[in-house]
Amino acid sequence: MGLGTLSERRGWVWFLLVPSLLLIAAVVLYPTFWGMSLSFREMRLNRPDLGTGFVGFKHYVALWNDPVFWLSLRNTLVWVVGATMGEFLLGLTTALLVDRGLPGFRAASVLILLPWFLPNVVAGHIWALMLDPRLGVINDILVRIGVLDSYFAWFANPDTALGAAMVVEIWHGFPFFALLLLAGLKAVPLELYESAEIDGAGPFARFRHVILPQLQMIIVATVVLRVISLVNAPDIILILTGGGPGRASQVLSLYAFLKVSKEFNFGYGSALAMVLFVGLMGFSYLYVRLSNVLKE
Amino acid sequence: MRRRTALGLLAAPLIVRPATAQTASITYWHHFTSTTEFQGLEKVMALFTKRYPSIKLVQENIPNPEYMAKMTAATMANAKPNVAMVTAERVADLVAMGTLTDLSQRVKSWSRYTEYPAQAWSGCTVGGKIYGVPAFTFVDWMYYRKDWFDEAGLKAPTTMADFAAAAVKLTDPAKNRYGFGLRGGPGGYKFIIDLFEAWGSPIVVNGKPAIDRIKAAEALRFYTELLTKQKAVPASAPGDGFRQIMDGFKTGQTAMVWHHTGSFTEIAAALKPGTWATCPIPAGPAARVARMSYQFNGIANPAQADASWNWLGFWGEPDAGIAFLEETGYFPSNPIVAADPRITGNPLYAAAIETTKFGRLPQGFTGVAGWSDNVVQPEFQKALTGRSTPAQAVDAMIAGLEATL
Repeated sequence: MGLGTLSERRGWVWFLLVPSLLLIAAVVLYPTFWGMSLSFREMRLNRPDLGTGFVGFKHYVALWNDPVFWLSLRNTLVWVVGATMGEFLLGLTTALLVDRGLPGFRAASVLILLPWFLPNVVAGHIWALMLDPRLGVINDILVRIGVLDSYFAWFANPDTALGAAMVVEIWHGFPFFALLLLAGLKAVPLELYESAEIDGAGPFARFRHVILPQLQMIIVATVVLRVISLVNAPDIILILTGGGPGRASQVLSLYAFLKVSKEFNFGYGSALAMVLFVGLMGFSYLYVRLSNVLKE
Repeated sequence: MRRRTALGLLAAPLIVRPATAQTASITYWHHFTSTTEFQGLEKVMALFTKRYPSIKLVQENIPNPEYMAKMTAATMANAKPNVAMVTAERVADLVAMGTLTDLSQRVKSWSRYTEYPAQAWSGCTVGGKIYGVPAFTFVDWMYYRKDWFDEAGLKAPTTMADFAAAAVKLTDPAKNRYGFGLRGGPGGYKFIIDLFEAWGSPIVVNGKPAIDRIKAAEALRFYTELLTKQKAVPASAPGDGFRQIMDGFKTGQTAMVWHHTGSFTEIAAALKPGTWATCPIPAGPAARVARMSYQFNGIANPAQADASWNWLGFWGEPDAGIAFLEETGYFPSNPIVAADPRITGNPLYAAAIETTKFGRLPQGFTGVAGWSDNVVQPEFQKALTGRSTPAQAVDAMIAGLEATL
């Protein structure tokens, strides 16, 4: 049978897909299933006496009874909801302002991207210095304008640590929304604005009935991407507070990281990671479904 | 043929081995961070290369917070460096993971083996096997503002009661001046464990949790009340790590700070001579506790073991120890070297020399690093910020220790 005959067969299509499937299996499926399997096994690198055998749902039961898990879960929800909303609102406002094409706004559209260019580690350290309770310029400004009586230790107070970290995250992440929403705004057909104006729509009505529907797809995509990123990356919190004081700002991804990197408990850390994985899958599915964005 | 000859002539300089050719190459992972540490390392490396020109030494810096994560990954991937720096509290974990190589035979037949005290070797011994060679030592002590103490008619405190009284007396929030730079942020757990022992509570005995709840809670109450009740430490204390307490002391915010000999050169560079001094950590009601934290070097990858061993042993040489001390202020681990007049002749080192007489090794049970970071630290912060009582915090620490062991 020649190659020409072979390529005429139905199975040829599957044969051509084999390299891609192998690559996906090696890069995506294997690590994912390996991570899943770890969560059902004992795996503490510094306790080889415990073995690495199958332990069923042991880690998940332990997690259910672990108060630090529930505290971290609550903090994660506050962190993700607060940061996403803050970034989205600031990003949308920025995109609407830049889209108006006022003088100087072209340059501003580049400047607003600067925070996004900074690595998380750099952004974290910059803000740690600006909010420093001894030398921080923000404390100095707040004292000078009478908002504070004295310098305040934002990251050392359990009531403000998570909020202060959230402010830093919002500053760092809002250009992501601004950039993509601005791209969406530029793609809105001018005819729609003109029609709305002829129909007597004011700015608010235009925003509600023209802009928002046109941006819906981008909003859904950016929110899903940003939520996934915020849930999975604890770097800003790790730099600014380390999850403290007293776990006041500890989120689940940081808890999993600490379990693995400090206690070498890969089994429990993987169980925590699986909770995040399933939670994100559920969120993404529900959010996309409820937003009706794929209906058409 | 002619072309081959020409190529051969061109390649000749590349294949002819020079007289000083390096026959072995070893990698060294460490977590030095400051400029002085790097200068010290470079000096020691230069001396080593002079002594062993046939060994190529390649150093790689890994930030301390990521050090264990990278060592874990390297162990799992079988990509370990030849030599790795190991702090005392990490020895047990790294041995359990299979990262370090048993050096017992080499160490016991080493000419300098008997120069070190037994304590130095016990810090890197697990199950009767030796896994490292001490490179240098961090000796805990206290820095204090001598000028402020003199003004207030105070002497360097020798007991915790004197220490607390001095902290209160030297505090003046109107001047943004506080008696003590309390480390409540990263690394602050260290002093909690020390204070438990100073109040008479053991931590682990025969591999079992042994914290005395009442004594430990008393110790924690004493320490946290410096903030919650006496207000003798900056309000930022729950988040203050090494950098913050050092800056606080150097900029005149705090009168006392606990650290080790490793910050000597930094303080000396920042403050005028005569305005500051050093003294041993004050004694608690039951014991005077300060740590002698040996920093070891161990062989992780046994390939090139002989060359690696030369590097390990070189840190015990007088020239290497003094060169490193001069740049960093870090104490030599070899007492013979520490007795050098260049050290004993400096009165500021007297406190460290005195501490070596009673200094203890850090806790070294398997899992101590995880328990310290993930349990002691946050529970201490909760007590420090009033989110729990000292007794509740100690209960949580005991529960965490039981889970660890």
